[in-house]
Amino acid sequence: MPSRRILSGQSPSKAEPVIFVRTLSSKGRIQVVTMPAKNKLAVNVKSVGSGNLIALSACMFLSACSLIAHYDQVAYEHATNAKVDTLALMSKATGSYNEHQKEVEALITQLDKAYEYDRGRQLNKITIAQWDILRDPNRDSVGGFLEMWKAKTSLSATFIAEKKRQIGDAFDQIIQLESGKLKPAKVTE
Amino acid sequence: MANIDVGSIFKSIEDQSKALAEKLFKQYTRQAVNDAKDFLQKSKDDLKRWIEELARGDISVDEFESLVKGQADVAEMRALKQAGLGAVQIDTFTNGVLDIVVSAAFTAIKI
Repeated sequence: MPSRRILSGQSPSKAEPVIFVRTLSSKGRIQVVTMPAKNKLAVNVKSVGSGNLIALSACMFLSACSLIAHYDQVAYEHATNAKVDTLALMSKATGSYNEHQKEVEALITQLDKAYEYDRGRQLNKITIAQWDILRDPNRDSVGGFLEMWKAKTSLSATFIAEKKRQIGDAFDQIIQLESGKLKPAKVTE
Repeated sequence: MANIDVGSIFKSIEDQSKALAEKLFKQYTRQAVNDAKDFLQKSKDDLKRWIEELARGDISVDEFESLVKGQADVAEMRALKQAGLGAVQIDTFTNGVLDIVVSAAFTAIKI
């Protein structure tokens, strides 16, 4: 008799419960079992064949495997808030770095928190790689901009305006990826 | 007792899965290509403007270099985004195939 139930439902033509069961039988390892509504003790069994079980099992297995994390509202908010705060602070870079050092440190902490939150999520390596580029002080995104501000003490208004456009675009790549991930409702549908 | 036509179930699954794959991946490919084209055009315009700003002395050589290198960083982040969205499409396809399999099975079992 059946060793494990894997699917259940109702026949669309009659209101009879239907289940697919995996069995230990050598001929067919998946069976369709119907239970007549009037007599629930009587059970009809149809073997489907082991080859088909492989295909069905493959579908079941694949459905359980995701390649990338699902959408996370908190991560999305971290990224959008960090974008707004970063661009706001960048506007102040015509002024002295020393006067804004505490704000810079607060922003770095905010970026670190967003990064750490995303780092704690499963299947999220791509987003982490994006944050790595954005935060790296040796590259030319947010981390590099803050280093440049510190080194030069103040930056030109033209450069800041151009860099804000560029860094806004960089944040958008993280935000767009997050918003493109499958929403929990869609995952369970 | 129901007679299950397994061949017809699998034909239905195959046809529907093919249609789903065509729809999902064509749409994704079109979006990715348009995204890349937009970025290239935007980068071209940006570079032209930065050269003019450098020539006018509105930005320094260091700032110009930072902008050019920063654009390469954005390109890398954009490529990562596209890779991630590609993975989302594969997950969507996998979930869709599962729905097709279950639906085809229950449609076929008309006892």
